Amino acid sequence: MNPASLLPWLLAAALLGSAASLLWALQRLRQQAHRGTRLARRAVALRRLSETLRDTDEPLQQSAHLQQALLALAEPDPRPAAEVTLLLLKDALPADNDELAVLRLGPDPVDADVQAGLWLCLRECVAFGPGTGRHEQQGAWYLPLHSRGGRQGSSGAACLVLGRWPSDAHEVHELRAHAQALCDQMGQALHRAQAARATRLAREEAQAHKLRNTLLAAISHDYRTPLATILGAASALQEQADRLSVEQRRRLATSIAVEAEQLSRLTDNTLQLARLDAPGLVLRMDWESAEELVGAVLRRVRVRDPQRRVRARVEPGLPLLRCDAVLLVQLLDNLVDNALKHGGDEAPVEIRVRQLPGSVVLAVRDRGPGVAPGLREHIFEVFQRGDASAARGAGVGLAVCRAIAHAHGGELALRLRGHGGASFECRLPVAEQPASAPAAPGMSAGPLAEGAAAP
Amino acid sequence: MTLTVLLVEDDRELRGTLRAGLEVEGYRVLAAASLADALALWSHAAASGQPPALVLLDLGLPDGDGAELLDRLRRDQAVPVLVLSARDGDGQKISLLDAGADDYLVKPFSLGELLARIRVALRRRGRALQPAITHYARAGLVVDLAARRVTLNAQAVHLTPTEFKLLARLVRSAGQVVMHRTLLAEVWGAEFTAHTHYLRLYMGQLRAKLEAEPADPQILLTEPGVGYRVAEGDEP
Repeated sequence: MNPASLLPWLLAAALLGSAASLLWALQRLRQQAHRGTRLARRAVALRRLSETLRDTDEPLQQSAHLQQALLALAEPDPRPAAEVTLLLLKDALPADNDELAVLRLGPDPVDADVQAGLWLCLRECVAFGPGTGRHEQQGAWYLPLHSRGGRQGSSGAACLVLGRWPSDAHEVHELRAHAQALCDQMGQALHRAQAARATRLAREEAQAHKLRNTLLAAISHDYRTPLATILGAASALQEQADRLSVEQRRRLATSIAVEAEQLSRLTDNTLQLARLDAPGLVLRMDWESAEELVGAVLRRVRVRDPQRRVRARVEPGLPLLRCDAVLLVQLLDNLVDNALKHGGDEAPVEIRVRQLPGSVVLAVRDRGPGVAPGLREHIFEVFQRGDASAARGAGVGLAVCRAIAHAHGGELALRLRGHGGASFECRLPVAEQPASAPAAPGMSAGPLAEGAAAP
Repeated sequence: MTLTVLLVEDDRELRGTLRAGLEVEGYRVLAAASLADALALWSHAAASGQPPALVLLDLGLPDGDGAELLDRLRRDQAVPVLVLSARDGDGQKISLLDAGADDYLVKPFSLGELLARIRVALRRRGRALQPAITHYARAGLVVDLAARRVTLNAQAVHLTPTEFKLLARLVRSAGQVVMHRTLLAEVWGAEFTAHTHYLRLYMGQLRAKLEAEPADPQILLTEPGVGYRVAEGDEP
């Protein structure tokens, strides 16, 4: 064969070869570009989901985002048969496959095989399906929602059916890694939320426990002291009656009555504190006049205050208060009782009610030694006393007072007075006033015309 | 004449203490520890022509609620009933007053308080048989319901018709608590029973006119969460 005649063939073959390699290189480039875009898109999806979950305390409510992100795996090729089913634990893993313990997203009704696969995946905390080495024959991926790399178990599972599986084993691997990363984001968020819930519950439990213990400690102290007096006085009357003078007998009887009164108040306050602390508290709200509340308190107090140390100053023209009258009377009564005990023996005690913009302040003021600086912070806590050796029972009283003020959307604070003494001030918000009252019907024709009474 | 009191209280100690206290004051006491006891004692006393003049009724009884006895008594008896309650709920107080109780005392209470309430209840019932009360006097305040005249320390006090109607209603039940709802229904009308703020306004005006210290009233007394009570009048 003439070598020259071979040349065009050789040339053609070389051209073809280089064209082919060019094509191949172009194809590679295009594939790499595709892969780059795909990876970038997946990184964005991962970041978005992570941000959504980071900003929520209730990751369960965001589970549709995970579903969307998993469905988007099918892009850029449209794979219409793609289907995602999610199973998410609401709290701890139940003993049996209890549907009430999980939230399910996806096709409804769910395929029984998918359902069983999801529970298996959730419990065993491993992935299975194509390319995983487990249950390869399944036409779907089952991916656990890992938390912390799977050490803490799974918070759920996802079932992923693709319309067309990638032919390339490498791409299958990449796709699954991405799906798993998305699932793990959700798993971690669910785990975090569950841990936060558990911590909150434990803290509430500890607080309830602490309150119970303080109440019990208080009962053993604050109840025992008046009981000891009552028992002592009563048994003296019982056993020595003949040898006691009339005056001695009367004194014993008086101390029984006084201490029993104290026990009764302590019981009221302790019960009220427990009631105010309980969830679902309902107050008996009505329109009340501060003047009447103060009057009712004074009438109760007079029994313990024969010298009339307690005086009232109620500003005229006060708005009506929207409150529970019985609770407010208990609040003021406790503050007055406190002032009578701690405010010095002879000094006056004043109940003062005045109006500030948007609120009414009910204050009980004494001229006693005030409250020591170290105790001011704690005086409203249960069973703190101004002076452990002095008169009893201030602690639960002030704690109830503050709880009552809070239940009305108000505040109770201690203010020290300029020239000595303490002022306990309950500030209550003023609600929008009701329409003013009309004259009684059928009254205008009477000899005393309404309004003629103005002095 | 010795007045008989039917005391229904299941706690033995309290029953003994109350019985002793009442007997010292000159009452004859029939003491019952249960609903069944109380009914038997009541029928026996009634059959012998000496029905009790007053019933003191504890609510929590071993064989039923004291409210049942109240209900049964109210069907055909005008005897005053004082309820002794360990439950300090105002809803409870209101429903008992609605059911026909004359008054209530929340445990623990002093003997002095109990005796005072008994005296008021007996006097009121005694009056129920006589012409209605037309005259009230206490601490310088005189209310003449028939003449529609009110004087304070011999000075005429001008009340608006609504103020007078409210005062008159309270005076007619002097010594006894009158519920918010009753006052609103009788002074303004049945559709105003929830308008407690009317009472706050008009009671405030009455206190301003009739009390020396409106924030420390001696006559127009407030029963928080329940109603109002005009202090018992002076003995005529």
